[in-house]
Amino acid sequence: MFRRRQPADADTFGAEILRYLEPLYATALRLTRNRADAEDLVQDTVVKALRFSDRFERGTNLRAWLSTILHNTWRNRLRDAGREAAAIEVDSSLVEEAEATADDSQRAETPEQLLLRNTLDADLRAALDELPDIFRQAVWLRDVEEFSYAEIAKMLDVPIGTVMSRISRGRRLLLDQLRKTKATA
Amino acid sequence: MSECRQTIDSLPAFADGLLQPDERRAIERHLAACPPCRRLADDERSGRRVLRHAASTLLVEPLPPGLQGRCEALVRAGQGSRAALSDMRPWWRVRLVPVLLAVVVMIFTASAFFSLATRRSDALLAAQLTADHSKCFKLFAPAAGVTADPQNIEHVLSEQYGRNVHVPPSSTDDDIQLIGARRCLYGDGLVPHVMYRVHGQDVSLFVLPGTERKPDDLVTLGHRSQIWSRDGTTFVLVTPADTGDLAGASRYVMREAR
Repeated sequence: MFRRRQPADADTFGAEILRYLEPLYATALRLTRNRADAEDLVQDTVVKALRFSDRFERGTNLRAWLSTILHNTWRNRLRDAGREAAAIEVDSSLVEEAEATADDSQRAETPEQLLLRNTLDADLRAALDELPDIFRQAVWLRDVEEFSYAEIAKMLDVPIGTVMSRISRGRRLLLDQLRKTKATA
Repeated sequence: MSECRQTIDSLPAFADGLLQPDERRAIERHLAACPPCRRLADDERSGRRVLRHAASTLLVEPLPPGLQGRCEALVRAGQGSRAALSDMRPWWRVRLVPVLLAVVVMIFTASAFFSLATRRSDALLAAQLTADHSKCFKLFAPAAGVTADPQNIEHVLSEQYGRNVHVPPSSTDDDIQLIGARRCLYGDGLVPHVMYRVHGQDVSLFVLPGTERKPDDLVTLGHRSQIWSRDGTTFVLVTPADTGDLAGASRYVMREAR
């Protein structure tokens, strides 16, 4: 027989979902880089959360559950739009190029010093937006939302080794992008 | 596997502090002796630190006007359909006494449940498409008087979805103007959203290829959603509720869309 949430629970569940709209929208905006698509993604996440509310285990982290739905949905859209494959193709050459251009003159300032100069949030958002989709999503999941490698692997349906490689390249590409931003500032 | 390759593969876990002490010491020894790997490790740690440092602010983004309201409406629609489902259960439980009657009741309940499940699914479909309808007209509606070429829209839809959709054109008889189309998101796919204006009212036709649903007609979030299927495609027509003069235009779209 099917399990059912109590009506009072349903009210609470809906209210709880609404509490997390802001971080969900922030995540959606970074993933899509487009306000209209981000709104669509959040709405879609809310609809799926309501539709599959029976699958949410009470007492576990609702924000993580909602985020999983959102990232899953986004991954499927990338796949359907063929953007995931395109991003993977660009992977090696982009990374090699990034690493080759990170010459000594750009390294006059050490990464730690760069950090100490307090990267502006707007610069960081812009640098994130420059990353290919798969790297941006990987570093966001790990470093912003703090999911484990195993959780991310499950969400993105890729092996853990691939997750680690994407995180690693994403972090380095991000730093390279920040260096470029500061060099042109 | 070379020591460099092994080190590079371990860098995320090294930066995240997830390695065992002996693994960590081995990486540190290699980094001390290998400047290229050390640079990669420094960048990895710095990239991570920048993000972790800014994580809490990155997760703060002001909601665009209307999104909160649309999500609240979706929650209300979801709660309404769950309440309808919960109202069914005590009914059959209290009558489940004689075995024969129990069987009859179970069969009846099963069919009622499936019927309600479909209604629930339709209610959520309608709620989301209504939310999309409101958002798209707010963000993308062209200026008054602008009309769109149905053949252009059909061409774009065919290119984007690989499927031919006949888009009902403007019709002066029914005072319906085709004003544009865009891709909307529903489920995991992108759904063609065709936008009309009828007597100054916003009207949407959504096309869900590859799905079949039983016809339904329901009001949610102040809008009427008429759902029907034809040749393996489901159509949903969203119109403002409480507006009597849209019946002709609705019939026209339902007849012409395929």
